[in-house]
Amino acid sequence: MKKILLLTVFLLVAVFAFSSSKIVLNMVQVFTSPSRTEVLQNIINQFEALHPNVQINLISPPYSTAYQKIYLMLSTNQPLDIVEVGDWSLEGVVELGKLVDLRPYIATWDASNDIVPGLMKAVSVTGGIPYIIPNGVYAKALFYRPDILVKYGITTPPKTMDELYSDCLKITDPKKNQYGFDFRGTGLPTNFIDIIITSYINDIDPNNMYKLTNGQLWFKDPRTLEGLKKYIDFYKYTAPKDSINWGFDEQVNAFVAGTTPFLFQDPDTTGLLKTMLKPDQWMTAPLPVGPSGKVYPSYGFGGWGITTYSKNKDMAWEFIKFFTTPKISAYFCKDYGALPVLKSVYESDPYFSQGVFKAWQYMFEHPETYVFTSYPLNNKKWTEWNEFQQDTMQQVLLGNMTPQEALNKWYDFWKDAFSM
Amino acid sequence: MRKSRKYKILRAIMLSIYLIAAIIPIYWIILTSFKVPSELYAYPIIYFPKVLTLSNYSYLFSFAHFSIYFKNSLLLSAISSIISTLLSIFSGYALARYSFKLKGFVIGLLFFSQMIPAYLLMVPQYSMFSNLGLINSLTALGILYVNIAAAFSTIMARGFFVRIPRSLEEAAMIDGCSRIGALFRITVPLAMPGIAAIFSFSFINDWNELFTAALFLNSDDRYTIPVALYSFISKAGIQWGVLSAGLVVALIPTIIIFAFMQKFIISGLTQGALKE
Amino acid sequence: MVRLLERRVLHVRRGAKSAPLFIFWMILPVILIVSIFTFYPTINGIILSFENYSVFNFANIHFVGLKNFKKILVDPLFWTALWNTLWWIVLSVAFQFVLGFGLALLMREPFKGRGIYAGFVFYPWALSGFAIGILWSWLLNGQFGFINDILVKLRIVSQSINFLSDPSWAFFSVILVNVWYGIPFFAIMLLAALQSIPEELYESAQIDGAGTFSRFFHVTVPYVSSTIFATLLLRVIWVMNFPDVIYGMTRGGPGGTTNILATYMINIVYYKNDYSLASAVGVFIITILMVYSIFYLQFTSKHGSGEF
Repeated sequence: MKKILLLTVFLLVAVFAFSSSKIVLNMVQVFTSPSRTEVLQNIINQFEALHPNVQINLISPPYSTAYQKIYLMLSTNQPLDIVEVGDWSLEGVVELGKLVDLRPYIATWDASNDIVPGLMKAVSVTGGIPYIIPNGVYAKALFYRPDILVKYGITTPPKTMDELYSDCLKITDPKKNQYGFDFRGTGLPTNFIDIIITSYINDIDPNNMYKLTNGQLWFKDPRTLEGLKKYIDFYKYTAPKDSINWGFDEQVNAFVAGTTPFLFQDPDTTGLLKTMLKPDQWMTAPLPVGPSGKVYPSYGFGGWGITTYSKNKDMAWEFIKFFTTPKISAYFCKDYGALPVLKSVYESDPYFSQGVFKAWQYMFEHPETYVFTSYPLNNKKWTEWNEFQQDTMQQVLLGNMTPQEALNKWYDFWKDAFSM
Repeated sequence: MRKSRKYKILRAIMLSIYLIAAIIPIYWIILTSFKVPSELYAYPIIYFPKVLTLSNYSYLFSFAHFSIYFKNSLLLSAISSIISTLLSIFSGYALARYSFKLKGFVIGLLFFSQMIPAYLLMVPQYSMFSNLGLINSLTALGILYVNIAAAFSTIMARGFFVRIPRSLEEAAMIDGCSRIGALFRITVPLAMPGIAAIFSFSFINDWNELFTAALFLNSDDRYTIPVALYSFISKAGIQWGVLSAGLVVALIPTIIIFAFMQKFIISGLTQGALKE
Repeated sequence: MVRLLERRVLHVRRGAKSAPLFIFWMILPVILIVSIFTFYPTINGIILSFENYSVFNFANIHFVGLKNFKKILVDPLFWTALWNTLWWIVLSVAFQFVLGFGLALLMREPFKGRGIYAGFVFYPWALSGFAIGILWSWLLNGQFGFINDILVKLRIVSQSINFLSDPSWAFFSVILVNVWYGIPFFAIMLLAALQSIPEELYESAQIDGAGTFSRFFHVTVPYVSSTIFATLLLRVIWVMNFPDVIYGMTRGGPGGTTNILATYMINIVYYKNDYSLASAVGVFIITILMVYSIFYLQFTSKHGSGEF
């Protein structure tokens, strides 16, 4: 009896000692939404169940303040081990010098060759060094509303930009409040502008959206002007005038209301659409190709990095590895609406090759037509460009600037930014 | 003062115009908070939903831990604004009643503190609190809120105290009251409308403060209501149903405060007059 | 509690001789807090504006002189924003004040349900600026906005107005919303001040044969003038530093037509990640406000509006 008592005391002490020496990891997400927070928390719980001596604190700042918070936290060495960073801000966060070069970790990681080909290269923005392991991929596809289109006799989604344009024109009738293209004038429309313009050009450099394969900028190319004019026509003739002030929320609103049944969007839109529309009311299709016979979508991504001053880098890496296992990755992507980062998930989980995901699958399988192209994300002027392009584009749409003037400005901007 | 019937009717019309202009958005928020997601963006707009749902509210409290944020916000705002109001009574009174060498300078400083844009302070304040190890602390945030409100409250308190005749206090002091006794027994009750206004402004500012809270708080269980509401605006769009429900819930304490304060504004004068 | 304060803080009872110490203790807490948490960081913020503090040269932050200021002065967006800021302040504050004063006068005398009325008419002030911005951008949407829908249904307009996308409307719209938001501030402050006007003043004015307008300008306005002047000054300062509504509604667009200095500054933080450049804009804002305040205070003290 005495022995048992002693043993219990000993065990209790051990448990206490053990629990007080818990490893605490602090982790911050960027693309916060309450449902995403829940998904992440579930994954964390599973990890903690596997590693009883680890406690992970999830920090979920509201999306639009997230990067400012991360910059401040990192620059003042606030307790932080795992940091989420998205594509457009990766360069800025890396430049702070507080993220770990992950190459040594990846070298000993068997599962690293399961990552979708080309993706690791795409996330190695700064100096070709991977500072994050991607957790989800985003790419634009064409969302459309079959229930609205069938009223106008349109039964198949447009395959080319010209078809899209003529479909849009056909259904546009301001008196009935019916328009075609779900235009985006604000909230950084870079992707939207570029997808249409570049589809007029057949020799875009896959490594740089703003250059041709011969290394020149394309802003002075005559095909560019044609593409830009088409983009402006989409606004002028097939979209509500109000859409110059539309961001993501208004786009979704107009799509759900049926006002504009054609929308270019990322897969994370599916989460919201599911709650608002019936399954037969919306569908996706590959992006329409331009007169060049091609279209140039880009990979968007987010991923996890480790801080240089973290005291538990190995455990942080353990978590990232855990997050990048097929089961967890599939769960995260399904619930949040991202494309998985692992080949095996596409192969083993039919969810990502069916229904609304078929469009992306098709685009991935036809790389000669759907040329996934990288943005110059490592350029220090990248985020400045997003704002500059939005502002000049609005000036053009308002008629304060000619398309040619805008292209000249854009040319100057990139000539300077690339120091050409 | 007796007013004519015509005046009363005219006043009723004008008051109604103000009310309608003020109320339209809140009507829309309340309506939205009871809509099911499929009707949120429906066009033509649905003004009288067939189905009213409480799911947005239940989501708020079950899934989104709103009760925790509510408690945090309430404690933080109430304590900070009580402190800042109290401090402003002292400083406002001193600045109203006495003239001294640096008075102009002090008042100038207080005004100056209001001119500084929040984004200028962002990096320095964060570094400062980080060095002090005060990130992710509601107390630290409370200190910042007192700081934000103190200068403004002092300026306003002074404005209210200036108008109250000195003679009343002097009479009380002759009757054996100390200076601070006279302040709290005579002047503060007389200035109650103003003090109530100052308190409610501080409270509401703190209640709504988003920018600092979002930067300084990390843990979910320390978030305040604005941070939580702001989280419904994500990269993938705005959850209008839940956000509206959250705005409605967040408005309840402030509307109570306004109604309450309005009582003070009326009774403050009559009480003061009775004491004379 | 009062007793305690008397003993702890004041040491002395009554007697004008003790005034300096009394004043010192009364003012100290506020000055101390504001100095530590506002002025000290402000000085650091101003120092920042002479450096090159951005995320891209975090490892190499040094003094760059007036470079940031020069950069701003040659930016055409800055000048548009500056000009817009002027109109933004003048129009917003003027309408907020006039309409707020009007509401305060209407609410001055009791009526049934005044408490509830106050709750509903003052609540805009109880919303956060950003929430107001995004809410109104939805309400004013040119396609499926609630306001447009009502206007069309009531046949006030035949076609939806593009409140936020038509440059000639956009600036008007953001000001309209800012006015809507700011009316309660003036109403509450002035209502509180109006309540303290002794009734006898009106009575004696009435005996002197003063009409409604004369009573208003000779009794009401002078009596609440210190509140008016203080609130006007504060409001101008706040509105200048108030980007929330615009940010929620248009982010300064379309084509920069609704950009003010405060939104211009935020955009620098968000898109250029250049805190030093943003701080330089902040220094401009402070300078403008200081010059304005000095003139304002000189003007008001000259015109005998009393000390405030």
